[in-house]
Amino acid sequence: MTTPKSLTLSSTTFAKLSPHPYLLANLQPADPSTTPTRTNGRQPAQTRTPYINTSSLSHAHGSAVVRNGDTTVICGVRGETILTSAIPNYRAPSPADGSGSSLDEARDYDLLVPNIELATGCAPNFLPGVPPTTLAQTLSTRVYSLLHSSKLVDVSRLRIYPEEVGGEKNKEDNDEKMNEADEEVDEYAVAGDKAVKAYWVLYIDVLFISFDGNPFDTAWAATLAALRDTKLPLAYWDADREMVLCKRSQQNATPLNLRGLPVACTASVFTAKEKQKKGSGSYWVLVDPDRLEEGLCDETVTVVVDKLGGSTKILGISKHGGTVVGPELMKKMVATAESRWDQIHAAIE
Amino acid sequence: MADRRRINGPVGATTPPIFDKPAGPAAAKTRDAIRKIFLKTGITPSASGSAYLELENPNPQRPGNTSLKLSCTVHGPRSLPRSAPFSPHIILTTHVKYAPFATRQRRGYLRDSSERDLGVHLETALRGAIIADRWPKSGVDIISQKDDEGWDMMNVLSGCITVASAAIADAGIDCVDTVAGGVAALVCKDDKTAPTIVMDPVVAEHDSILAACCVAYLPTRDEITNMWFKGRLPGADMMVYDKLMEKSLVACRCANRVIVQELNETVKKGQGIS
Repeated sequence: MTTPKSLTLSSTTFAKLSPHPYLLANLQPADPSTTPTRTNGRQPAQTRTPYINTSSLSHAHGSAVVRNGDTTVICGVRGETILTSAIPNYRAPSPADGSGSSLDEARDYDLLVPNIELATGCAPNFLPGVPPTTLAQTLSTRVYSLLHSSKLVDVSRLRIYPEEVGGEKNKEDNDEKMNEADEEVDEYAVAGDKAVKAYWVLYIDVLFISFDGNPFDTAWAATLAALRDTKLPLAYWDADREMVLCKRSQQNATPLNLRGLPVACTASVFTAKEKQKKGSGSYWVLVDPDRLEEGLCDETVTVVVDKLGGSTKILGISKHGGTVVGPELMKKMVATAESRWDQIHAAIE
Repeated sequence: MADRRRINGPVGATTPPIFDKPAGPAAAKTRDAIRKIFLKTGITPSASGSAYLELENPNPQRPGNTSLKLSCTVHGPRSLPRSAPFSPHIILTTHVKYAPFATRQRRGYLRDSSERDLGVHLETALRGAIIADRWPKSGVDIISQKDDEGWDMMNVLSGCITVASAAIADAGIDCVDTVAGGVAALVCKDDKTAPTIVMDPVVAEHDSILAACCVAYLPTRDEITNMWFKGRLPGADMMVYDKLMEKSLVACRCANRVIVQELNETVKKGQGIS
């Protein structure tokens, strides 16, 4: 190939050599007749269509595979039990104080354990055999804090009580835990006169099979779908054996009672100049960025909304880096997140 | 010491659920074929080559329940880091990892000795198939991730070999042949009956397994790249060893047909687009 034509580079080569001008040229075409698109062929506000498949793993209590474009994530939720005697500084929950008290069982006793693993060879820069990268640690922490701040999991479903049959007899030989709670005994009567003996701990493991940008949204969608799919077996405290036992039959398995359906929507801001000052130059808000776009954008916005029940609730807004996004743009972002919610909601149902 | 870079959960010990009644025994099916294999290449577009393998569960408890899920990615060939010494041939690195939710007992994120062992076996099995001198000064990483239950190490290894072979072909690395893995085992019901040889054994279906053999095999060249034999053979019959090997070779051939078919389909699809 010694023809002069070989001097023009193919688009993939151009993208590798100078990614920033490449994306800029796509968003700002020299020929005004062509519509500006991103390098992946999407419009700036266009997201990738998510696909969700649940209950594919046989050893997890709940699982989901979420595919968002070329980003694929698998999430498995596994329940294990912990005795209240094994929890340091355990305080018996009373049904009366409910949300008003400072006691947050899920957070205080660490009942939700999300971990996100990127080192699965899902992309050339994530090879196994290394400790979790900063990105993996950040993602785990963000999912952890969103799980707690959204109060997604109903803690009452995670409590394990003594067995119903012969409950009267159990009550008599119950240990000092019952005596401690004696002053609140009339409140217990409402909850069927039972003391919590153990808790379910949910291990939520998210593995990336394929990585092409927007890891948080996809990991969160997988966590949500897997938790919705989770069915815990009916567990009870066996006083004779002093351990937690589970019923074998599948009919007794109950799904978790999730509060709402929060959906995360991330967008990156791409600026025309690589180092842009506030209020100068043009910029594009790229919703659901892919790997190339993520590498070129400094500023990202994540909005978590929940539209279940009609009205839109904003559960979280986080913004990192850059100075472009102001109040107006943030309002637009919420609107984009609302349409993203409809998309995820349709895929999950 | 606790891993501070991950979220570790509660301080106290947690136990997996213990059921009050034992599960019913798995019904043994007599079959003289390997379980059905689902194989697909190109599941990870960001890697050079990738493949996904799923094994059929002969007695499913739920619809759509399968017993072994493996995904494999190949990164490379690419240049070695500057600090690495010169190598006249390709440097092969293999990694086998169980997902935390893959087994009955939850696994941690750190690789344990059995996973390292599987990685070494996989490396020897693949080294014989790759034409290593064609890629001097370069490295390739092969990562197998086990996403769901496999009954034992040997079945996992044979699955890993098959899926890695498909992923290497998908990455376009020169091989002499597609290597496939197969398992055969010598099982017996009780002490009175004579032991029989089964292909692709499902551990839960058999009362006791006397010996098992996992082989990595190149069908067109009729060569074995890796063989792993475990167990004890009844001393009376010296031919059992040979028979066991032959049975696992049959299993390899079956698995290889799946690889070849899937690769043919991938090639056809590629031609259709361009």
